[in-house]
Amino acid sequence: MKQLAISGLRKAFGPHRVLADLDLEVPAGSLTAILGPSGSGKTTLLRIIAGFDLADGGTVMIGDRVVDSDRVHVSPEHRRIGYVPQEGSLFPHLTVAANVGFGLRARQRRGQRTKDLLAAVGLSDLGRRYPHELSGGQQQRVALARALAIEPAMVLLDEPFASLDAHLRASVRSDVQQIFRDAGTTALLVTHDQDEALAIADHVAVLRDGRIAQHSTPQYLYSEPADSGIAKFIGDANLLDGVRHGDFVETALGRLRAEGPSAAGSQLVTVLVRPEHIELRPAAGDAGPAGWVVDCEYYGHDAVLRVQLKGNGDIAPIIVRTAGDHQLPPGSPVTLRPKGQVRTWPR
Amino acid sequence: MTSPGAIAAGTSGTTEPPGPLPAHRTRRAGHARRHRRPVVLLTFSALIAAALAVPLVFLLIEAKGAGAGTVLDLIFRSLTWQLLWNTVRLTVVVTLLCAIIGTAAAWCVERTDLPGRRIWAVLVVVPLAIPDFVVSFGWFSLWSWVQGFKGAIIVLTLAVYPLVYLPVSASLRSADPGQEEVARSLGVRRISTFLRVTLSQARGAILGGCLLVALVLLAEFGAFEILGYQTFTTEIFTEFNAANIPAACALSLVLVLISLVVLAGEGSMRGRGRVARTGPMAQRKIPPAKLGKARWPVLAGFTVLALLALGVPVGASVYWMFDSGSPGLTGGVPLLTAALTTAEYGVLAGAAATVAAFPVALLAVRHPGRLRMMLERSTYLVLAMPGVVIAFALIYFTERYTSGLGNNTAPLLIVCYAIMFFPLALVGVKASLARAPVKLDEMAASLGQARLAVLCRVTLRLAGPGLMAAFCLVFLSVVTELTATLLLIPTGVQTLATQFWEYQSNLSYGQAAPFALVMIAVAAAPSYLLGRFFDRSSASRG
Repeated sequence: MKQLAISGLRKAFGPHRVLADLDLEVPAGSLTAILGPSGSGKTTLLRIIAGFDLADGGTVMIGDRVVDSDRVHVSPEHRRIGYVPQEGSLFPHLTVAANVGFGLRARQRRGQRTKDLLAAVGLSDLGRRYPHELSGGQQQRVALARALAIEPAMVLLDEPFASLDAHLRASVRSDVQQIFRDAGTTALLVTHDQDEALAIADHVAVLRDGRIAQHSTPQYLYSEPADSGIAKFIGDANLLDGVRHGDFVETALGRLRAEGPSAAGSQLVTVLVRPEHIELRPAAGDAGPAGWVVDCEYYGHDAVLRVQLKGNGDIAPIIVRTAGDHQLPPGSPVTLRPKGQVRTWPR
Repeated sequence: MTSPGAIAAGTSGTTEPPGPLPAHRTRRAGHARRHRRPVVLLTFSALIAAALAVPLVFLLIEAKGAGAGTVLDLIFRSLTWQLLWNTVRLTVVVTLLCAIIGTAAAWCVERTDLPGRRIWAVLVVVPLAIPDFVVSFGWFSLWSWVQGFKGAIIVLTLAVYPLVYLPVSASLRSADPGQEEVARSLGVRRISTFLRVTLSQARGAILGGCLLVALVLLAEFGAFEILGYQTFTTEIFTEFNAANIPAACALSLVLVLISLVVLAGEGSMRGRGRVARTGPMAQRKIPPAKLGKARWPVLAGFTVLALLALGVPVGASVYWMFDSGSPGLTGGVPLLTAALTTAEYGVLAGAAATVAAFPVALLAVRHPGRLRMMLERSTYLVLAMPGVVIAFALIYFTERYTSGLGNNTAPLLIVCYAIMFFPLALVGVKASLARAPVKLDEMAASLGQARLAVLCRVTLRLAGPGLMAAFCLVFLSVVTELTATLLLIPTGVQTLATQFWEYQSNLSYGQAAPFALVMIAVAAAPSYLLGRFFDRSSASRG
């Protein structure tokens, strides 16, 4: 069952094309993330769905109701779409409770429903405060409660966590995820942060060049990216040149098992090796390609090293993710051993 | 307490029962896919701009009636050059002085640890509440050497410098003070930081204030009349009173032309000074600049400024009131009647101007575009029309195109005020709308609120204090308006200004003084409120 269906959506600002024949379907009750770099048209897409901006062409359906097409434009106040902008946009002249109840009918505003919503986002005690008296995370949750108050057909979130501090972000993120799961409301979230998209969404749609380049579960997106561009955009990636013969591929890291069907004979391919799929050993002379550590980013629970392969000065250093217990200063000799199957694309 | 799950029970992750959409909720394709044009707003704005253009149309019709040859002869005579020289040199000198005093005062109040900043913030603005002709009455009645060019410079500078102070202090308050810190950290000294960073932040506001000063000077009548300084406006008044309409029209055309030059100059300079701002808009309080030993001269400067701008006119009025040599006030009744009449006119005109400015401001702020900007800009031309021209235009129009209003010219006077002070209201309303960002309107719409509800529950609520400020600005100006009031006041009715004028023209300074004081008191209240408004808006950001 799909809650949002977009087909052939087009939008240009002057000569600059932002959305080009974009198709997207969002299943009911899911939390879907639109992932794209800054300026890729994510916000434009949300604003069109919300009815704030007009598309140049294409249709938007919410449920089985056409809200945008060549013949129809439903104004924002008749769409029943909750919208949570990046900075929350709470009404500064209203209390928290009045903000939450803003979209309700006049006699409902002071009733139980506002209280329930505040309880749902964990802010029962703050109803009488004004927005400027809240922290960023609290403001964001009020904005969410306000959007949920109108029993929306779906909720749109525009980079909702971008303005929060890093340590706050994770907790607000999981709160929001929980609230949506409990409410069972369909949500569409846009973000430029791939970690965020992978962490909280049921589905991730990658927006590139004005259309959806890939739309799948986070796990599938990470392990089976549709092309090398997406592979590089989602997480760290080593993209190597290789030659594929049947189920094997020859690379600078040696002979690796490749997945997926192959062409007959040998074929020039691009090979994706994720950093955590490479085993790193401190001592030289071991089996496998040898190199030396260029630098190391230490994260505590793990570390990311860049390793320059010996005798292969013309290829970029290999990114390797290891457990954080190595003591490997730059220059240390290491050997690398890739594990598992790798993904390849014809060059 | 219900569980979160029950809260969104209406949706429960399923699609809504579709149901056919009521016809009025959807728009036809032709409209849907094109850019939304604010048709209603455009219509209202165009009508208002047209109404404001009436005086100009009157000028042109009259000039045409007089014949091009006559008008050109009237323009190219030595009197015109004399008036031009008088007007231009005064405008240049006073505008420059106002820019310096207004900017320096604003910087000291907003960015330094000047003792008593909150009090100075009020005292510096209050002179705006004192009518220019009362200031010149105060100076001239005490010291008769204050007249002519010299006197006009002193009096007008002290009367109008708050027009620069107000916008500059507002812009300094909203500008990013961190930029000054960055400049200092880059090794730029305090003085050059002020010149290179602070001044450029405030440049738009300074230019805007100077524009106002220049235009007010071009239209000033009462003060120059007392000081015996001849400008275009005083000469136009004389010609009108002598029923020499063609000559008055010819001079008015030149005056409008000068004002156009001022407007164009300001416009072309403003385009260059865009202020980019990166990062979040959150405001930080930074420690104000320490004045150190400079505190004493600065304090002395503020004291002198307050004494000259506030002390002299108020003091002179008090002096003449208790001066045994001149006849005093003959009972309080005329004073009370005049005050009530003035207040009534002020409230009506303030409301009219603010309401009229709203659609134009909304259009300019929310739907920027070349045509709309020109529409908005065109309304500022009114500032260049002396009150005397607007008043005569209205008289002329009602006499020619209606059966006439007879003796009841009060509605005409209100309309005249509303036209004259429309630009003031527009400035205030635009500023107030900036406090009601369009994002919040969109938010309200997405929560199911119809446009009218959004206007009432969000836009007007947020813009409310600013609208009140705009209303106060107009009220203030009406109380202190003289020229148009003299011409349009119904027979037998007196406002504070006209009664004052009558007495001071007869040199009955003792009788004029109470009216001056009441005018100051009546106008000071809104100007105090204005100060409070600007104060609060800075506090809420801090």
